[in-house]
Amino acid sequence: MKRMILQGGIPVIEVKNVTKKFGRKEVLKGVSFTAEKGQITCLIGINGVGKTTIMQAIMSLIPINSGEIFIDGSKLTKDSYEKIIFIPDTITMPPQMRIGDAFAFMDDFYQSWNQKRAEELLEFFKLEETERISELSKGNTAKVNMLLGLALDVDYLLMDEPFSGIDIFSREEIANVFTSHLIEDRGVIITTHEINDIEHLIDKVVLIDNGVVLKEFNVEEVREKEGKSVIDVLREVYES
Amino acid sequence: MNRYLKLVNFEFNRFFKLYVVLVIVTIIMQIIAVIVESRRYMQEAENVIYGEMMSKADFIKNYEAFTMQRIVQSNWFYWSIAFCAVILLIYVFFIWYRDWLGKNSFIYRLLMLPTARLNLYFAKATAILIFVFGLVALQLFLFSIETQLVKWMIPAEFRVDLPMSEYIRFNYLSIILPSSIFDFFIFYGIGIIAVFIMFTAILFERCYRLKGIIFGISYGLVSFGFFLMPLLINTFVLKNYFFPLELFVMEVIVCIIILLGAIWIGNYLLKYKIRV
Repeated sequence: MKRMILQGGIPVIEVKNVTKKFGRKEVLKGVSFTAEKGQITCLIGINGVGKTTIMQAIMSLIPINSGEIFIDGSKLTKDSYEKIIFIPDTITMPPQMRIGDAFAFMDDFYQSWNQKRAEELLEFFKLEETERISELSKGNTAKVNMLLGLALDVDYLLMDEPFSGIDIFSREEIANVFTSHLIEDRGVIITTHEINDIEHLIDKVVLIDNGVVLKEFNVEEVREKEGKSVIDVLREVYES
Repeated sequence: MNRYLKLVNFEFNRFFKLYVVLVIVTIIMQIIAVIVESRRYMQEAENVIYGEMMSKADFIKNYEAFTMQRIVQSNWFYWSIAFCAVILLIYVFFIWYRDWLGKNSFIYRLLMLPTARLNLYFAKATAILIFVFGLVALQLFLFSIETQLVKWMIPAEFRVDLPMSEYIRFNYLSIILPSSIFDFFIFYGIGIIAVFIMFTAILFERCYRLKGIIFGISYGLVSFGFFLMPLLINTFVLKNYFFPLELFVMEVIVCIIILLGAIWIGNYLLKYKIRV
Protein backbone atom coordinates (compact mmCIF):
# COMPACT_ATOMS: atom_id res chain seq x y z
CA MET A 1 0.00 0.00 0.00
CA LYS A 2 1.35 3.40 -0.93
CA ARG A 3 2.02 5.47 2.17
CA MET A 4 0.87 8.98 1.53
CA ILE A 5 3.38 11.17 3.27
CA LEU A 6 3.55 13.86 0.65
CA GLN A 7 3.86 17.05 2.64
CA GLY A 8 1.50 19.62 1.20
CA GLY A 9 1.46 17.59 -1.98
CA ILE A 10 5.24 17.78 -2.33
CA PRO A 11 6.97 14.45 -2.98
CA VAL A 12 9.61 13.57 -0.43
CA ILE A 13 12.19 11.10 0.67
CA GLU A 14 11.39 10.16 4.22
CA VAL A 15 13.96 8.50 6.45
CA LYS A 16 12.28 7.25 9.60
CA ASN A 17 13.98 5.95 12.75
CA VAL A 18 16.74 4.25 10.82
CA THR A 19 19.33 2.37 12.84
CA LYS A 20 22.39 0.70 11.49
CA LYS A 21 25.10 -1.26 13.25
CA PHE A 22 28.47 -2.30 11.89
CA GLY A 23 29.40 -5.12 14.23
CA ARG A 24 28.84 -3.73 17.70
CA LYS A 25 29.18 -0.14 16.63
CA GLU A 26 25.88 1.64 16.12
CA VAL A 27 26.46 4.10 13.30
CA LEU A 28 22.90 5.33 12.92
CA LYS A 29 20.76 5.63 16.04
CA GLY A 30 17.23 6.28 14.91
CA VAL A 31 17.88 8.81 12.19
CA SER A 32 14.80 10.58 10.86
CA PHE A 33 14.47 13.42 8.36
CA THR A 34 12.76 14.31 5.12
CA ALA A 35 14.11 15.69 1.86
CA GLU A 36 11.67 17.33 -0.49
CA LYS A 37 11.64 17.34 -4.26
CA GLY A 38 12.70 20.71 -5.63
CA GLN A 39 14.96 21.40 -2.65
CA ILE A 40 18.62 20.86 -1.88
CA THR A 41 19.03 19.14 1.47
CA CYS A 42 22.49 19.02 2.93
CA LEU A 43 23.60 16.37 5.41
CA ILE A 44 26.32 17.89 7.53
CA GLY A 45 28.54 16.24 10.08
CA ILE A 46 32.13 15.38 10.74
CA ASN A 47 33.71 12.23 9.26
CA GLY A 48 32.30 8.94 10.44
CA VAL A 49 28.95 10.22 11.72
CA GLY A 50 27.03 8.13 9.20
CA LYS A 51 26.26 10.52 6.32
CA THR A 52 27.35 8.10 3.59
CA THR A 53 25.67 5.23 5.42
CA ILE A 54 22.36 7.12 5.25
CA MET A 55 22.77 7.60 1.49
CA GLN A 56 23.60 3.93 1.01
CA ALA A 57 20.64 2.91 3.17
CA ILE A 58 18.26 5.07 1.11
CA MET A 59 19.51 3.34 -2.05
CA SER A 60 19.33 -0.12 -0.45
CA LEU A 61 23.06 -0.58 -0.91
CA ILE A 62 23.43 -1.73 2.69
CA PRO A 63 20.89 -3.40 4.94
CA ILE A 64 19.54 -1.41 7.87
CA ASN A 65 18.80 -2.89 11.29
CA SER A 66 15.51 -1.09 11.81
CA GLY A 67 13.47 1.82 10.56
CA GLU A 68 11.84 2.63 7.26
CA ILE A 69 12.67 4.64 4.18
CA PHE A 70 10.04 5.91 1.77
CA ILE A 71 10.41 7.54 -1.59
CA ASP A 72 7.27 9.42 -2.54
CA GLY A 73 5.41 7.29 -0.06
CA SER A 74 6.63 3.92 -1.31
CA LYS A 75 9.47 1.64 -0.34
CA LEU A 76 12.33 1.37 -2.78
CA THR A 77 11.89 -1.16 -5.58
CA LYS A 78 13.90 -1.91 -8.72
CA ASP A 79 11.77 0.60 -10.60
CA SER A 80 12.68 3.32 -8.08
CA TYR A 81 16.17 3.40 -9.61
CA GLU A 82 14.62 5.13 -12.61
CA LYS A 83 13.72 8.08 -10.40
CA ILE A 84 16.41 8.23 -7.75
CA ILE A 85 20.14 8.02 -8.27
CA PHE A 86 23.11 8.00 -5.95
CA ILE A 87 26.37 9.64 -6.97
CA PRO A 88 29.00 8.28 -4.56
CA ASP A 89 32.44 9.82 -4.13
CA THR A 90 33.95 7.01 -6.18
CA ILE A 91 33.48 6.36 -9.91
CA THR A 92 30.86 3.71 -10.54
CA MET A 93 32.02 2.53 -13.94
CA PRO A 94 34.79 0.10 -14.85
CA PRO A 95 38.05 2.06 -15.31
CA GLN A 96 38.82 0.63 -18.74
CA MET A 97 35.63 2.14 -20.13
CA ARG A 98 35.67 5.28 -22.23
CA ILE A 99 33.16 7.99 -21.36
CA GLY A 100 31.24 7.14 -24.53
CA ASP A 101 31.04 3.46 -23.46
CA ALA A 102 29.70 4.57 -20.10
CA PHE A 103 27.01 6.59 -21.91
CA ALA A 104 26.10 3.51 -23.98
CA PHE A 105 25.89 1.41 -20.82
CA MET A 106 23.59 3.92 -19.14
CA ASP A 107 21.47 4.21 -22.28
CA ASP A 108 21.15 0.42 -22.38
CA PHE A 109 19.90 0.05 -18.85
CA TYR A 110 18.06 3.26 -17.91
CA GLN A 111 14.90 4.45 -19.59
CA SER A 112 15.47 7.75 -17.82
CA TRP A 113 18.85 8.26 -19.54
CA ASN A 114 18.85 11.55 -21.40
CA GLN A 115 21.53 11.43 -24.09
CA LYS A 116 20.99 15.05 -25.07
CA ARG A 117 21.57 16.19 -21.52
CA ALA A 118 24.61 13.89 -21.26
CA GLU A 119 26.13 15.60 -24.28
CA GLU A 120 25.27 18.99 -22.85
CA LEU A 121 27.00 18.06 -19.61
CA LEU A 122 29.99 16.75 -21.48
CA GLU A 123 30.40 20.16 -23.02
CA PHE A 124 29.66 21.87 -19.71
CA PHE A 125 32.46 19.93 -18.02
CA LYS A 126 34.77 20.19 -21.06
CA LEU A 127 35.19 16.42 -21.40
CA GLU A 128 35.52 14.16 -24.44
CA GLU A 129 33.59 10.94 -25.10
CA THR A 130 36.78 9.21 -26.18
CA GLU A 131 38.54 9.73 -22.85
CA ARG A 132 39.17 6.61 -20.83
CA ILE A 133 37.95 6.75 -17.23
CA SER A 134 41.18 5.32 -15.82
CA GLU A 135 43.15 8.13 -17.45
CA LEU A 136 41.08 10.98 -16.01
CA SER A 137 42.29 13.28 -13.26
CA LYS A 138 40.52 13.12 -9.90
CA GLY A 139 38.55 16.26 -10.71
CA ASN A 140 37.45 14.96 -14.10
CA THR A 141 36.57 11.59 -12.60
CA ALA A 142 34.29 13.39 -10.14
CA LYS A 143 32.76 15.30 -13.05
CA VAL A 144 32.09 12.09 -15.01
CA ASN A 145 30.56 10.58 -11.93
CA MET A 146 28.30 13.57 -11.53
CA LEU A 147 27.53 13.65 -15.23
CA LEU A 148 26.33 10.02 -15.22
CA GLY A 149 23.89 10.89 -12.44
CA LEU A 150 22.74 14.25 -13.75
CA ALA A 151 22.03 12.94 -17.25
CA LEU A 152 19.29 10.74 -15.87
CA ASP A 153 15.82 12.23 -15.80
CA VAL A 154 15.34 11.34 -12.15
CA ASP A 155 13.39 13.08 -9.41
CA TYR A 156 16.03 12.69 -6.73
CA LEU A 157 19.81 12.96 -6.72
CA LEU A 158 21.90 11.79 -3.80
CA MET A 159 25.44 13.14 -3.88
CA ASP A 160 28.13 12.01 -1.51
CA GLU A 161 30.97 14.50 -1.03
CA PRO A 162 30.99 15.80 -4.61
CA PHE A 163 33.76 18.28 -3.75
CA SER A 164 35.99 15.85 -1.91
CA GLY A 165 39.67 16.01 -2.87
CA ILE A 166 39.29 17.99 -6.08
CA ASP A 167 40.91 21.25 -7.15
CA ILE A 168 39.25 24.63 -6.80
CA PHE A 169 38.44 24.97 -10.52
CA SER A 170 36.72 21.60 -10.75
CA ARG A 171 34.93 22.45 -7.52
CA GLU A 172 33.65 25.66 -9.05
CA GLU A 173 32.44 23.85 -12.13
CA ILE A 174 30.58 21.28 -10.04
CA ALA A 175 29.12 24.01 -7.82
CA ASN A 176 27.86 25.76 -10.97
CA VAL A 177 25.72 22.72 -11.66
CA PHE A 178 23.61 23.53 -8.62
CA THR A 179 22.61 26.91 -10.01
CA SER A 180 21.92 25.56 -13.49
CA HIS A 181 18.75 24.13 -15.01
CA LEU A 182 20.30 20.68 -14.51
CA ILE A 183 19.17 20.61 -10.92
CA GLU A 184 15.94 22.59 -10.93
CA ASP A 185 12.80 20.75 -9.77
CA ARG A 186 14.81 17.82 -8.54
CA GLY A 187 15.24 16.79 -4.95
CA VAL A 188 18.89 16.73 -3.96
CA ILE A 189 20.47 15.27 -0.87
CA ILE A 190 24.11 16.18 -0.59
CA THR A 191 26.80 15.45 1.95
CA THR A 192 29.77 17.75 2.09
CA HIS A 193 32.45 19.20 4.29
CA GLU A 194 32.87 22.14 1.95
CA ILE A 195 29.82 23.98 3.22
CA ASN A 196 31.24 27.36 2.14
CA ASP A 197 31.00 26.34 -1.52
CA ILE A 198 27.31 25.65 -1.47
CA GLU A 199 25.92 27.44 1.57
CA HIS A 200 24.07 29.92 -0.61
CA LEU A 201 22.52 27.10 -2.63
CA ILE A 202 21.08 24.79 -0.03
CA ASP A 203 17.52 24.93 1.23
CA LYS A 204 17.69 22.65 4.18
CA VAL A 205 20.31 21.34 6.58
CA VAL A 206 20.25 18.09 8.50
CA LEU A 207 22.93 18.20 11.11
CA ILE A 208 24.14 14.76 12.11
CA ASP A 209 26.47 13.82 14.91
CA ASN A 210 27.31 10.46 16.36
CA GLY A 211 24.51 8.72 14.44
CA VAL A 212 21.68 11.04 15.49
CA VAL A 213 20.07 14.06 13.89
CA LEU A 214 21.02 17.01 16.10
CA LYS A 215 19.08 19.62 14.21
CA GLU A 216 17.06 19.90 11.01
CA PHE A 217 16.41 23.41 9.78
CA ASN A 218 15.40 25.47 6.80
CA VAL A 219 18.28 27.72 5.74
CA GLU A 220 16.10 30.57 4.51
CA GLU A 221 14.01 30.60 7.67
CA VAL A 222 17.04 30.70 9.94
CA ARG A 223 18.59 33.42 7.82
CA GLU A 224 15.44 35.57 7.80
CA LYS A 225 14.15 35.00 11.33
CA GLU A 226 17.39 34.65 13.26
CA GLY A 227 19.80 36.38 10.93
CA LYS A 228 22.20 33.43 11.10
CA SER A 229 24.16 31.63 8.42
CA VAL A 230 24.51 27.85 8.25
CA ILE A 231 28.03 28.17 9.66
CA ASP A 232 26.65 30.21 12.62
CA VAL A 233 24.13 27.49 13.42
CA LEU A 234 26.77 24.78 13.11
CA ARG A 235 29.07 26.65 15.45
CA GLU A 236 26.23 27.12 17.92
CA VAL A 237 25.26 23.46 17.92
CA TYR A 238 28.80 22.09 18.13
CA GLU A 239 29.91 24.55 20.81
CA SER A 240 26.88 23.96 23.03
CA MET B 1 14.56 -10.36 -19.82
CA ASN B 2 15.98 -7.72 -22.07
CA ARG B 3 18.14 -6.26 -19.31
CA TYR B 4 19.23 -9.76 -18.32
CA LEU B 5 20.51 -10.38 -21.86
CA LYS B 6 22.24 -7.00 -21.84
CA LEU B 7 23.92 -7.93 -18.59
CA VAL B 8 25.02 -11.27 -20.05
CA ASN B 9 26.45 -9.45 -23.05
CA PHE B 10 28.20 -6.99 -20.75
CA GLU B 11 29.68 -9.73 -18.58
CA PHE B 12 30.80 -11.62 -21.65
CA ASN B 13 32.55 -8.56 -23.08
CA ARG B 14 34.31 -7.87 -19.79
CA PHE B 15 36.10 -11.23 -19.93
CA PHE B 16 36.35 -11.46 -23.69
CA LYS B 17 39.96 -10.30 -24.10
CA LEU B 18 41.24 -12.68 -21.45
CA TYR B 19 39.06 -15.40 -22.94
CA VAL B 20 40.66 -14.91 -26.35
CA VAL B 21 44.08 -15.23 -24.68
CA LEU B 22 42.86 -18.42 -23.01
CA VAL B 23 41.68 -19.80 -26.36
CA ILE B 24 44.98 -18.92 -28.08
CA VAL B 25 47.06 -20.47 -25.28
CA THR B 26 44.90 -23.63 -25.45
CA ILE B 27 45.32 -23.89 -29.21
CA ILE B 28 49.08 -23.35 -29.01
CA MET B 29 49.55 -25.87 -26.20
CA GLN B 30 47.53 -28.53 -27.98
CA ILE B 31 49.27 -27.99 -31.30
CA ILE B 32 52.57 -28.30 -29.44
CA ALA B 33 51.24 -31.53 -27.88
CA VAL B 34 50.52 -32.92 -31.35
CA ILE B 35 53.87 -31.90 -32.79
CA VAL B 36 55.94 -33.04 -29.79
CA GLU B 37 54.19 -36.39 -29.43
CA SER B 38 54.17 -37.13 -33.15
CA ARG B 39 57.86 -36.29 -33.55
CA ARG B 40 58.78 -38.24 -30.44
CA TYR B 41 56.94 -41.28 -31.74
CA MET B 42 58.48 -41.06 -35.19
CA GLN B 43 61.93 -40.51 -33.68
CA GLU B 44 61.44 -43.59 -31.55
CA ALA B 45 60.24 -45.56 -34.55
CA GLU B 46 63.26 -44.47 -36.58
CA ASN B 47 65.68 -45.36 -33.78
CA VAL B 48 64.15 -48.77 -33.27
CA ILE B 49 63.57 -49.65 -36.91
CA TYR B 50 66.98 -48.51 -38.15
CA GLY B 51 68.96 -48.97 -34.94
CA GLU B 52 67.66 -52.38 -33.95
CA MET B 53 66.83 -53.47 -37.49
CA MET B 54 63.23 -54.15 -36.59
CA SER B 55 60.47 -54.32 -39.19
CA LYS B 56 57.67 -51.76 -39.13
CA ALA B 57 55.17 -54.50 -38.32
CA ASP B 58 57.24 -55.68 -35.34
CA PHE B 59 57.71 -52.14 -34.14
CA ILE B 60 53.95 -51.52 -34.16
CA LYS B 61 53.39 -54.88 -32.49
CA ASN B 62 55.90 -54.10 -29.71
CA TYR B 63 55.41 -50.37 -29.30
CA GLU B 64 51.76 -49.94 -30.37
CA ALA B 65 50.50 -47.81 -33.19
CA PHE B 66 50.14 -44.08 -32.72
CA THR B 67 46.67 -42.94 -31.69
CA MET B 68 45.16 -39.67 -30.49
CA GLN B 69 45.13 -41.28 -27.06
CA ARG B 70 48.85 -40.62 -26.88
CA ILE B 71 48.24 -36.90 -27.45
CA VAL B 72 45.40 -36.48 -24.96
CA GLN B 73 47.56 -38.19 -22.34
CA SER B 74 50.52 -35.93 -22.95
CA ASN B 75 51.52 -33.22 -20.48
CA TRP B 76 51.04 -30.37 -22.93
CA PHE B 77 47.49 -31.44 -23.63
CA TYR B 78 46.69 -32.10 -20.00
CA TRP B 79 48.01 -28.70 -18.91
CA SER B 80 46.03 -26.90 -21.61
CA ILE B 81 42.83 -28.36 -20.15
CA ALA B 82 43.96 -27.78 -16.57
CA PHE B 83 44.91 -24.18 -17.42
CA CYS B 84 41.43 -23.44 -18.79
CA ALA B 85 39.75 -25.16 -15.82
CA VAL B 86 41.82 -23.22 -13.29
CA ILE B 87 41.30 -19.85 -15.01
CA LEU B 88 37.54 -20.39 -15.22
CA LEU B 89 37.43 -21.54 -11.61
CA ILE B 90 39.27 -18.39 -10.54
CA TYR B 91 36.91 -16.34 -12.69
CA VAL B 92 33.89 -17.80 -10.87
CA PHE B 93 35.16 -15.79 -7.89
CA PHE B 94 36.60 -12.86 -9.79
CA ILE B 95 33.38 -12.25 -11.74
CA TRP B 96 31.92 -11.04 -8.42
CA TYR B 97 34.91 -9.63 -6.62
CA ARG B 98 36.05 -7.46 -9.53
CA ASP B 99 32.94 -5.31 -8.96
CA TRP B 100 33.99 -4.52 -5.42
CA LEU B 101 37.73 -4.33 -5.81
CA GLY B 102 39.78 -1.21 -6.47
CA LYS B 103 38.83 2.43 -6.37
CA ASN B 104 36.16 2.04 -9.03
CA SER B 105 33.17 0.53 -7.31
CA PHE B 106 31.15 -0.81 -10.20
CA ILE B 107 29.01 -2.71 -7.72
CA TYR B 108 27.27 0.60 -6.87
CA ARG B 109 26.13 0.87 -10.46
CA LEU B 110 25.13 -2.78 -10.78
CA LEU B 111 23.03 -2.72 -7.62
CA MET B 112 21.37 0.52 -8.70
CA LEU B 113 20.30 -0.78 -12.10
CA PRO B 114 16.53 -0.67 -12.57
CA THR B 115 16.31 -4.43 -12.87
CA ALA B 116 15.87 -7.33 -10.45
CA ARG B 117 19.17 -7.95 -8.71
CA LEU B 118 18.71 -11.65 -9.35
CA ASN B 119 19.43 -10.83 -13.00
CA LEU B 120 23.01 -10.01 -11.98
CA TYR B 121 23.29 -13.46 -10.45
CA PHE B 122 21.86 -15.18 -13.52
CA ALA B 123 23.85 -13.03 -15.94
CA LYS B 124 27.14 -13.86 -14.25
CA ALA B 125 26.22 -17.56 -14.12
CA THR B 126 25.20 -17.51 -17.78
CA ALA B 127 28.49 -15.83 -18.74
CA ILE B 128 30.44 -18.56 -16.93
CA LEU B 129 28.42 -21.27 -18.71
CA ILE B 130 29.00 -19.60 -22.08
CA PHE B 131 32.74 -19.56 -21.40
CA VAL B 132 32.71 -23.23 -20.37
CA PHE B 133 30.67 -24.40 -23.35
CA GLY B 134 32.73 -22.18 -25.63
CA LEU B 135 35.87 -24.01 -24.54
CA VAL B 136 34.16 -27.38 -24.92
CA ALA B 137 33.15 -26.43 -28.46
CA LEU B 138 36.70 -25.26 -29.11
CA GLN B 139 38.01 -28.62 -27.91
CA LEU B 140 35.73 -30.51 -30.28
CA PHE B 141 36.89 -28.30 -33.13
CA LEU B 142 40.52 -28.71 -32.12
CA PHE B 143 40.21 -32.49 -32.13
CA SER B 144 39.34 -32.42 -35.82
CA ILE B 145 42.33 -30.15 -36.54
CA GLU B 146 44.64 -32.27 -34.39
CA THR B 147 43.48 -35.48 -36.06
CA GLN B 148 44.32 -33.94 -39.41
CA LEU B 149 47.73 -32.84 -38.14
CA VAL B 150 48.45 -36.34 -36.90
CA LYS B 151 47.53 -37.69 -40.34
CA TRP B 152 50.09 -35.35 -41.88
CA MET B 153 52.82 -36.16 -39.41
CA ILE B 154 52.40 -39.89 -38.85
CA PRO B 155 52.33 -42.24 -41.86
CA ALA B 156 49.18 -44.35 -42.12
CA GLU B 157 50.98 -47.62 -41.33
CA PHE B 158 52.11 -46.29 -37.96
CA ARG B 159 48.81 -45.00 -36.70
CA VAL B 160 45.29 -46.10 -35.90
CA ASP B 161 42.59 -43.49 -36.45
CA LEU B 162 40.31 -43.94 -33.47
CA PRO B 163 36.96 -42.25 -33.26
CA MET B 164 36.86 -39.45 -30.66
CA SER B 165 34.64 -41.45 -28.32
CA GLU B 166 37.42 -44.03 -28.03
CA TYR B 167 40.33 -41.83 -27.07
CA ILE B 168 38.41 -39.78 -24.53
CA ARG B 169 36.62 -42.69 -22.94
CA PHE B 170 39.07 -43.74 -20.26
CA ASN B 171 40.49 -40.47 -19.04
CA TYR B 172 39.64 -37.08 -17.56
CA LEU B 173 38.23 -35.91 -20.90
CA SER B 174 35.20 -38.14 -20.45
CA ILE B 175 33.97 -35.64 -17.85
CA ILE B 176 34.43 -32.63 -20.11
CA LEU B 177 33.11 -34.42 -23.18
CA PRO B 178 30.59 -36.98 -21.92
CA SER B 179 29.88 -39.84 -24.29
CA SER B 180 26.11 -39.82 -23.79
CA ILE B 181 23.45 -37.18 -23.34
CA PHE B 182 22.64 -38.78 -19.99
CA ASP B 183 26.22 -38.27 -18.75
CA PHE B 184 26.18 -34.78 -20.18
CA PHE B 185 23.19 -33.82 -18.04
CA ILE B 186 24.70 -35.42 -14.97
CA PHE B 187 28.19 -33.90 -15.28
CA TYR B 188 27.12 -30.46 -16.44
CA GLY B 189 24.10 -30.43 -14.13
CA ILE B 190 26.38 -31.01 -11.15
CA GLY B 191 28.80 -28.44 -12.56
CA ILE B 192 26.06 -25.81 -12.87
CA ILE B 193 24.85 -26.51 -9.34
CA ALA B 194 28.43 -26.16 -8.08
CA VAL B 195 28.72 -22.76 -9.78
CA PHE B 196 25.46 -21.58 -8.19
CA ILE B 197 26.57 -22.83 -4.77
CA MET B 198 29.88 -20.97 -5.15
CA PHE B 199 28.03 -17.80 -6.21
CA THR B 200 25.78 -17.98 -3.17
CA ALA B 201 28.75 -18.69 -0.89
CA ILE B 202 30.53 -15.64 -2.37
CA LEU B 203 27.43 -13.55 -1.68
CA PHE B 204 27.46 -14.75 1.95
CA GLU B 205 31.00 -13.40 2.21
CA ARG B 206 30.07 -10.14 0.46
CA CYS B 207 27.13 -9.64 2.82
CA TYR B 208 28.70 -10.60 6.13
CA ARG B 209 32.41 -10.26 5.27
CA LEU B 210 34.50 -12.16 7.89
CA LYS B 211 31.53 -13.95 9.39
CA GLY B 212 30.35 -14.52 5.83
CA ILE B 213 33.38 -16.68 5.08
CA ILE B 214 32.23 -19.08 7.79
CA PHE B 215 28.61 -18.86 6.57
CA GLY B 216 29.72 -19.44 2.98
CA ILE B 217 31.89 -22.44 3.78
CA SER B 218 29.19 -23.89 6.07
CA TYR B 219 26.58 -23.35 3.37
CA GLY B 220 28.80 -25.14 0.84
CA LEU B 221 29.37 -28.06 3.20
CA VAL B 222 25.67 -28.34 4.05
CA SER B 223 24.81 -28.35 0.33
CA PHE B 224 27.42 -31.04 -0.32
CA GLY B 225 26.14 -33.07 2.65
CA PHE B 226 22.58 -32.74 1.38
CA PHE B 227 23.74 -33.88 -2.05
CA LEU B 228 25.32 -37.00 -0.55
CA MET B 229 22.46 -37.66 1.86
CA PRO B 230 20.45 -40.17 -0.23
CA LEU B 231 23.61 -42.17 -0.95
CA LEU B 232 24.78 -42.11 2.66
CA ILE B 233 21.37 -43.03 4.09
CA ASN B 234 20.98 -45.84 1.58
CA THR B 235 24.43 -47.22 2.29
CA PHE B 236 24.77 -46.84 6.04
CA VAL B 237 21.23 -46.68 7.42
CA LEU B 238 19.04 -48.63 5.02
CA LYS B 239 21.77 -51.07 3.90
CA ASN B 240 21.17 -50.71 0.15
CA TYR B 241 17.39 -50.73 0.39
CA PHE B 242 16.78 -48.67 -2.78
CA PHE B 243 17.22 -49.69 -6.41
CA PRO B 244 19.79 -47.66 -8.34
CA LEU B 245 17.03 -45.98 -10.35
CA GLU B 246 15.21 -44.95 -7.18
CA LEU B 247 18.44 -43.54 -5.81
CA PHE B 248 19.03 -41.69 -9.02
CA VAL B 249 15.58 -40.11 -8.91
CA MET B 250 16.19 -39.09 -5.29
CA GLU B 251 19.52 -37.52 -6.27
CA VAL B 252 17.86 -35.57 -9.08
CA ILE B 253 15.24 -34.25 -6.64
CA VAL B 254 17.94 -33.35 -4.12
CA CYS B 255 19.93 -31.56 -6.85
CA ILE B 256 16.88 -29.54 -7.91
CA ILE B 257 16.27 -28.57 -4.27
CA ILE B 258 19.93 -27.55 -3.85
CA LEU B 259 19.82 -25.51 -7.07
CA LEU B 260 16.58 -23.73 -6.18
CA GLY B 261 17.88 -23.20 -2.64
CA ALA B 262 21.08 -21.58 -3.96
CA ILE B 263 19.08 -19.26 -6.20
CA TRP B 264 16.58 -18.37 -3.47
CA ILE B 265 19.30 -17.62 -0.89
CA GLY B 266 21.31 -15.72 -3.50
CA ASN B 267 18.28 -13.61 -4.35
CA TYR B 268 17.55 -12.95 -0.67
CA LEU B 269 21.15 -11.88 -0.01
CA LEU B 270 21.28 -9.62 -3.05
CA LYS B 271 17.96 -8.03 -2.24
CA TYR B 272 18.18 -7.53 1.50
CA LYS B 273 21.68 -8.15 2.82
CA ILE B 274 24.19 -7.05 0.23
CA ARG B 275 26.56 -4.19 1.00
CA VAL B 276 28.74 -2.12 -1.25
